Amino acid sequence: MKSGTVANILQGVVFFALLGVVWEASVHVFEIRSYLLPPLSAVVGELVSSRALLWQHFWITLNEVVLGFLVAAVSGVVMAASVFFIPVARRTIYPLLIGLQSIPKVGLAPLIVVWFGYGLSSKVIMSFLFAFFPIVIATLGGLGSTPQHLEEHFRALRATPWVTFWKLRVPSALPSFVDGCKVAMPLAVIGAVVGEFVGSNEGLGNLILLATSSSRGSLTFAALGAVTAMSLLLFAVVAAFGRLVWWRAQ
Amino acid sequence: MVARSVSPTTFAPETRAVAIELVDVSKVFGGPSGVKALDRVSFEVGEREFVSILGPSGCGKSTLLRLIAGLMPFEGERLSLGGEDVSGPMDDVGVVFQTANLLPWRTVEANLKLGAEIHGRKTPGDRLSALVETLGLTGFEARHPHELSGGMKQRVAIGQALVRNPNVLLLDEPFGALDALTRDKLNVELLRIWQAERKTVVLVTHSIPEAVLLSDRVLVMSGRPGRLLEDVSIDLPRPRTPRETRASGDFGRYVVRLGELMGVV
Repeated sequence: MKSGTVANILQGVVFFALLGVVWEASVHVFEIRSYLLPPLSAVVGELVSSRALLWQHFWITLNEVVLGFLVAAVSGVVMAASVFFIPVARRTIYPLLIGLQSIPKVGLAPLIVVWFGYGLSSKVIMSFLFAFFPIVIATLGGLGSTPQHLEEHFRALRATPWVTFWKLRVPSALPSFVDGCKVAMPLAVIGAVVGEFVGSNEGLGNLILLATSSSRGSLTFAALGAVTAMSLLLFAVVAAFGRLVWWRAQ
Repeated sequence: MVARSVSPTTFAPETRAVAIELVDVSKVFGGPSGVKALDRVSFEVGEREFVSILGPSGCGKSTLLRLIAGLMPFEGERLSLGGEDVSGPMDDVGVVFQTANLLPWRTVEANLKLGAEIHGRKTPGDRLSALVETLGLTGFEARHPHELSGGMKQRVAIGQALVRNPNVLLLDEPFGALDALTRDKLNVELLRIWQAERKTVVLVTHSIPEAVLLSDRVLVMSGRPGRLLEDVSIDLPRPRTPRETRASGDFGRYVVRLGELMGVV
């Protein structure tokens, strides 16, 4: 069965249209108050009428997420490589890392805000904290999974450790690294939003809080929709990059 | 040059320099009280000689090849290649393993270039295209390993060993995982390459007919710990082809004799 045929696309369209109709209808039929659940039409209306506001906050959150994710990706790779290649780091830094990972990061958020303020940096750090660990673990797994027969091949070719690293270990680890990034990307969004919840005066997380506390259900949902869209968009970007790494070393 | 002292009576028809020499080479895995894989193996391989090592699985024949390739430290008297003691992988040696060691992210051509590239050298284009043709890989240069059949992959692996034109080829059951037909084809190609380029070849195999078809000499090994049981010279006329050589009565006699030595007949 081909997934691209018109009938198959139609199935999805019809399903989501029905879901929308059920939402809209049940709000009216059961007379649900709009601060609890606004009708879909109101949310769509809000997306249009408040688009400037949403866009402004979207941009701020996007900025935090992208920065946090990039810092996590770069430092995650450096950390994984250090732990993999330096025995001392494996015995000291790695257990520390596992320990820190066990702290619920949501619980760290107030402290991070106290330490780094209400601005950009505390959100970038929250985003980083959520994204960092999956990338480290995935990359570490990738580095460790270099096929033994290929290592032997490189030894037979008298490759230096440096050459073996760049020509064998890095390409072997890349697919796992991409997997880690795919897991980390939505987490980075969550991290930034949690940071905004705890202490901020802008961003989509902040907008969600404000809209909810002022009983503007439609704006809450519109902001939620914007966060979700961001998450999907960023995941698609990571997945697109990931397609460049199509191989799996066996 | 040291002449090989096989026949003390007269001059050997071909006096060869020694390419590979092993004297009382042993290998124990896992410390002094560990498993003994090889027990005092001694033999010589002359320059441009084709020698097969035949033995049951687990007899340490692959280990033996890895020792010669300098991929593992050995215990014992002496292990030398071209008069030089083996202390690590050497430049003049090409190794082919049972699994084709191809990098999945590289094309056939890029895989063939890897060996030179690792040492910061370029592979001459004419050498590469000649090799691609010899190995029957024409048209597949830009393919990736996952697009190739098992036989094709093994051809590329052989190409990787040949591309730097080493004098010694060490083959560890390179055709072991292939079907009989592909195996025959690659045997023919190996014979042709060896006859054209006259390299010293050590082939590890568990196939008696393959060993007889290809080799000047067959070294028969015992089960663990691996010992050298017998050194059998295969005096069949060359050039050999699977069809004609196998049809000869001498071929059958060698197969039976080696089978007896290995305890399978």
